[in-house]
Amino acid sequence: MSSVISDSFSIYGEQITSRLLIGSALYPSPAVMADSIVASGAQIVTVSLRRQQSAAAGDDFWQLIKDTGLKILPNTAGCHSVNEAITLAQMCREVFATDWIKLELIGDDYNLQPDPFALLEATQILFAEGFKVLPYCTDDLVLCQRLADAGCEVLMPWGAPIGTGKGLLNPYNLKTIRERLPDTTLIVDAGLGLPSHACQALELGYDAVLLNSAIAGAGCPVTMSHAFKAAVDAGRFAYRAKAMPEKDVAAPSTPTMGMPFWHQQ
Amino acid sequence: MSYNIAVVGFGLTGRLTALELSLKHNVTVYEAGDEQALDSAGRVAAAMLAPLAESVFCEQDLALMGLDSIKRWPRILAQLDEAVFFQQQGTLVVAHQQDKGDLQSFIQRLKPLAEHQGHQLTGLQISELEPELTGRFNQGVYLPCEGQIDNQAFYQASFNTLKQRNVSFKFAQQVDVASLNLQQSFDYIIDCRGLGAKSVACKLRGVRGEVVRLYAPEVDLTRPVRLMHPRYPIYIAPKPNHQYVIGATEIESQDKGAATVRSTLELLSAAYTVHSGFAEARVLNIQTGLRPAFSDNRPQVSQQQNVISINGLYRHGYLLAPSLVADAIARIK
Repeated sequence: MSSVISDSFSIYGEQITSRLLIGSALYPSPAVMADSIVASGAQIVTVSLRRQQSAAAGDDFWQLIKDTGLKILPNTAGCHSVNEAITLAQMCREVFATDWIKLELIGDDYNLQPDPFALLEATQILFAEGFKVLPYCTDDLVLCQRLADAGCEVLMPWGAPIGTGKGLLNPYNLKTIRERLPDTTLIVDAGLGLPSHACQALELGYDAVLLNSAIAGAGCPVTMSHAFKAAVDAGRFAYRAKAMPEKDVAAPSTPTMGMPFWHQQ
Repeated sequence: MSYNIAVVGFGLTGRLTALELSLKHNVTVYEAGDEQALDSAGRVAAAMLAPLAESVFCEQDLALMGLDSIKRWPRILAQLDEAVFFQQQGTLVVAHQQDKGDLQSFIQRLKPLAEHQGHQLTGLQISELEPELTGRFNQGVYLPCEGQIDNQAFYQASFNTLKQRNVSFKFAQQVDVASLNLQQSFDYIIDCRGLGAKSVACKLRGVRGEVVRLYAPEVDLTRPVRLMHPRYPIYIAPKPNHQYVIGATEIESQDKGAATVRSTLELLSAAYTVHSGFAEARVLNIQTGLRPAFSDNRPQVSQQQNVISINGLYRHGYLLAPSLVADAIARIK
């Protein structure tokens, strides 16, 4: 087993050690956001750019995020078409000077479910334009395979719909994707509510989790941020330690030899 | 003792400060715009006085300050030459089925303020409070201590009253507080510039808000209705003459440009889903404003020699300004 310090994962060649990616929306104030980000130990913060925040308009808020010194992963939240997503990705590249883009393309407004067809199309176009694409996708194996074939080194399947806090709705699907795409960096994105959800994702062998509402919407975001950091560490240690096999029949951990006969059945 | 005092900025805090000080001192008001102060956040606001609802998102001390401010408003309005609409009949908070979870967490996080607290309502109780909402919602919260004022009427009436009191006005004057202090012989300068005070030393940011004003003769709500919304609280605030203010969005941006279609759709569809009578309402205007905020979203009253500053009221202008202005004025010895 490699040492704790050398345990990292890759995002397009960049080695990342913190397995918690944190969002920057919905906090009670920018000050609480900054404290929560620090408490999370995250190295990557996601930001959602809106048209009205381009160039100078959003400068003060972006400066607060840039001041954290973390790597910025812009997303295309709220986009419904391939063209919208590409325009926003281009704006993000200019504002944040990064070729990383978390590609979010919504196909259904009620559960904010990604549109798999448009997602694949936009991914191909963005790769051709020189972007490094991190697609937010559903937990569908074939979609994930197609995205990987298109060149994605990182995939971000959902745990549950955005903002629901329901945790991993389909651990079986997530586990299958992990097993079938062993060389792809996998990050569970969206739907987490509790630290135990994040822990479970890491136990399944996912490289990291990305979350926002679970921390920003907590009664005390900074404390919840600590909790998620601990949970992600726990899950990762558990994965590396390899869990004992599950059994249907009890196996005593104390040997019965030497036990008085009236205690035995 | 009577002083020569400059009030810089003629938005909400500037007006309240000038009203208070002009009873006793010689006041000169400086404003970058005209008497309308079109750039001021208080002009665009829904002008809610909602300490309980805001207690969900802000610290207890600010919510209590809001409670104190509500008590001050009737006395402030009583000194004006014209009547300004002020109401304290509570707020009704409702949620659509898909936002029930948000309503539950809102209820859990309401902080009791002294003897004031929220009361959970059934659908029947909602229809008793607001008969026109019968059958629309089966769960809600009533926040009895809350209120609102008509900010447009307040802006007009405060200006008229101050004119009568011989306050001198210097409009279209973008002044630098430090040099004003050197050039003029003011005993005190009260800096009420809001975002106009932004500088390297004063780390303010603007938080964009968009607000729609409607004329809706077919809608008869008697008190503000707050609708749970995934991104920002939306108020439907009834003002006199069947006018309704629907607001506000909250976007981390200093773009003062016209409202977007997305924001307009969100605000108007929120209103329409609460009351279908809004379908035939007339859109009087859609305005955009920038709320001045510090990074912790808390207001500050500060003093450097004879310059006293009030700033960073964020989304709590009408809720907190009377108390903050009283705090600032108490520093004048």
